[in-house]
Amino acid sequence: MIVNQMKLLVGGVQLRDGVSTITDIVGRILTRCGLHVMGVERGFASTIYGAHQYDPLMITAAPALSWGDEAIDILVGLEYDANPDAPEQPNRDTILRHARHLVDGGVLLYDSSSGPVPTDDLESRGVRVFPIPARQIAQRDLKKEVVKNVVMTGALFRLLEFDQDEQQLRRLLEQRFGRKGPALVDLNLEAARRGRAVVEQVLRERGWTSVGYRLEAVPGAPARVYIGGNEALSIAAIQAGVRFYAGYPITPASSILEFMEAHLPRYGGRALQGANERESIRAALGASATGVLSMVGTSGPGLSLKVEELGVAGITETPLVIVDAMRAGPSTGMPTKAEQGDLFLVTTGGHGEIPRIVLAPSTIEECYTLMLDAVRLADVYQCPVFFLTDLNLSEGRMTLPEATFRAGPRAVQRFLATEADVRGDRYARYRMTQDGISPRLVPGTRGAVAKVNSTEHDEFGFVTTDPPKRVAMMDKRMRKMGTYLQRDARPPQVHGIPGRGPILVGWGATKPALLEAQRRLGAEGVQATVVHFTHLWPFPTHLAKPLLEAGGPVVVVEHNYLGQFADVIQAHCLVPTRRVLKYNGRPLYPSEVVRAVHEVTHNGAVTVRLGGTEPVMVEVGVDA
Amino acid sequence: MPEGAKTIWDQNATPRHRIQWCPGCGDYAVLNALKAALTALELTPFEVLLVGGIGCSGQIRNYLNGNSFYGTHGGALAYALGAKMANPELTVIALADDGDTLAIGVENFVHTCRRDPDVTLVIMDNGVYGLTKGQDSPSAGLGQPDWVPSEEHPPFLDPVKLALASGATFIAQSFSGDPKHATEVLVEAVRHRGFAVVNDFSPCVTYNKFNTYDWFRAHVEPVPADHDVESADAAWQLIRDFERRAKLPVGIVYRHPRPKGDARRLPMWPAELERVDVEPMLAGLR
Ligand code: SF4
Repeated sequence: MIVNQMKLLVGGVQLRDGVSTITDIVGRILTRCGLHVMGVERGFASTIYGAHQYDPLMITAAPALSWGDEAIDILVGLEYDANPDAPEQPNRDTILRHARHLVDGGVLLYDSSSGPVPTDDLESRGVRVFPIPARQIAQRDLKKEVVKNVVMTGALFRLLEFDQDEQQLRRLLEQRFGRKGPALVDLNLEAARRGRAVVEQVLRERGWTSVGYRLEAVPGAPARVYIGGNEALSIAAIQAGVRFYAGYPITPASSILEFMEAHLPRYGGRALQGANERESIRAALGASATGVLSMVGTSGPGLSLKVEELGVAGITETPLVIVDAMRAGPSTGMPTKAEQGDLFLVTTGGHGEIPRIVLAPSTIEECYTLMLDAVRLADVYQCPVFFLTDLNLSEGRMTLPEATFRAGPRAVQRFLATEADVRGDRYARYRMTQDGISPRLVPGTRGAVAKVNSTEHDEFGFVTTDPPKRVAMMDKRMRKMGTYLQRDARPPQVHGIPGRGPILVGWGATKPALLEAQRRLGAEGVQATVVHFTHLWPFPTHLAKPLLEAGGPVVVVEHNYLGQFADVIQAHCLVPTRRVLKYNGRPLYPSEVVRAVHEVTHNGAVTVRLGGTEPVMVEVGVDA
Repeated sequence: MPEGAKTIWDQNATPRHRIQWCPGCGDYAVLNALKAALTALELTPFEVLLVGGIGCSGQIRNYLNGNSFYGTHGGALAYALGAKMANPELTVIALADDGDTLAIGVENFVHTCRRDPDVTLVIMDNGVYGLTKGQDSPSAGLGQPDWVPSEEHPPFLDPVKLALASGATFIAQSFSGDPKHATEVLVEAVRHRGFAVVNDFSPCVTYNKFNTYDWFRAHVEPVPADHDVESADAAWQLIRDFERRAKLPVGIVYRHPRPKGDARRLPMWPAELERVDVEPMLAGLR
């Protein structure tokens, strides 16, 4: 019997079948019951309705190290009719795509409303199969089709022997539907009961006493939330003091805008949905120019449109936090798939040279903890600060303790010049200073005016092309980055002891997969070190180089084609890098990393490209 | 203004002899009118934010006192929007020209009209891109009978009509040949609680040899005293009537403020940012 340790995958037709309704219910209820849920692999399509959607959840008793491999323990298939790709095989889309990843002895639940699916091959591997006519029950018996999800949830809970007294489900349903009256709650509970009954019947018929997997509530766990990266970073931003947010609808950054619209006004702030990407960032720069801590969020295509304003933020020395929730490019690319293809864009995008800082959180928790740094650094260095997440971090969700958010960021310290500071000498917005940081006075402060200028300017902000003044001003701006490297750059996180074996280098959301790969390599006797960067730019050469020169091949693992971060490392540290690259839209699986490390260490591979030759099912073509 | 009689609006500004506009440029009159209007409104430079567009006209922000922000071509209104939303206590004035506002920045023009922030926009309208040596702007072709429209040279785009169609709540025109009247219009525009568009005919003496001071003098005509400024219907009628007679209305064409709540400056000082109750944000995540 496996207790509180399993990977669950729910699949179905997007929007119609309610895939994310089920995983949302499961994620919340398990979190409330003291379990840990990690749902950071996101398998949804960029069209709203009709494409295949799948949502894997890693469920564990203690926080999971990673989302695991493709192998799944429990598969739930929600479609009840023919897949246009395979019309002769109704109800099978999820099964066709994912059942081959079911472990021997795993469990399959599927909607059998329009007839059974042949599953002999699976059963011969010990997979226990539960055909549940969920839609039929909902439609025919309960006269309400939408409750088919709850029929399935009830069935799932029953076979995992979880929430037997229905208390958890009842509580969630009451919170969700209580306003609409008890009848709706009762109907949903009845739906769950019907699902349970079907499972019980199958168990009886097959003579099974259990399915080999069970979930058990962990009593006495501290209060926890089931939270996504966009939500986590938004909370941190508000706590840090951000009071103006602007965005334009774009996957996967839209939920930041929605969160900010819902919550910022409560704290006296405003959230603006721009008429386009450019209006968003320009309005945020305008707000920031008045002294309000400001932030924008977007994804690659939106950031490409904002590039012109990066230069404005840089040369006018106007602070701005820019969240780039990366998705697969170029152009529209794969809107609902994660990638790490924007590093070059954020480190060098735009004409001319500007001071800029790039941070990248590696987990949902770090989306929270690192955001304080982003807000603070933008304000201190008066420059754009990029916060690079990706689709899985942004839209994925996991269980985290509430205490994290309660103990979390305090509002950043402000360094704005006051009336008293500017009394006397004529105020110069761009005063020459040793550290490059000029005292910032914001419009409205009595006693002086600020001339903020995107044309090259003198100390007072007036236009100049005088060579010595230009050089002095350029040097002053760029000097801020030297100051940053001295005072605020952070070394990479080091797991293990560099020099004993391969050094796995990563940034962003790959960390869990790298740590899991490191553990597996360790079990094989290969001592790998994981060196994971959060502060990417300006590249902290002085902190990174000694680690990367410790010996052992430097294997940079990234979600892009070129190995963008590997290039950065080579350029700054002058150490050769090996590259493990994956850009097929799927997250990195620990087993792939292990294999790639073997390719590098045993076979001398310089570059390993993952995910192309795998027997991956062709996805429904989508566009947005 | 006699040399030496410096007002507060002449401090912290590029000295007059260093102003880089061609002698006779219409923008000088706008500069004078702006100073006169700000003086009449009893504002101080500290509470004013001038947002410059790109073009000859945008330089104006450096030619008088006041806080200023200068960004990209076409962006002035969006910066102004954000600044005003963040700090409603500031008097925010966007100073741009026809190319900046009606070509590269037309998206912002249309949507700022819809949003109606309490911002004043002065378009220094001269029909050309002066700064890049005289290319056509969207308002090129004004009043030219032998202008043959084509894809390359489309007809004149009227900012007054565009503003009215887009929902602006204050629309006026003025002429640099009559700075006294322009001052009066500017005073009303800044006083207006909402987005105020002032299209000032500001001749480019170097590159627009058609729409000259004389040409404008012959074509501008005051909005009649009995015009109902609060009526959009009356505004459309007035526009059509002037068009038929090949005249350009100067004065307030439309003024109809929307009801507005009190906007407050967004929190930004440490004392205002403390004590964020995280509970409401966590409530939906359990
Ligand atoms: S080119 Fe035209 S618009 Fe520019 S300064 Fe000269 S006269 Fe004025």
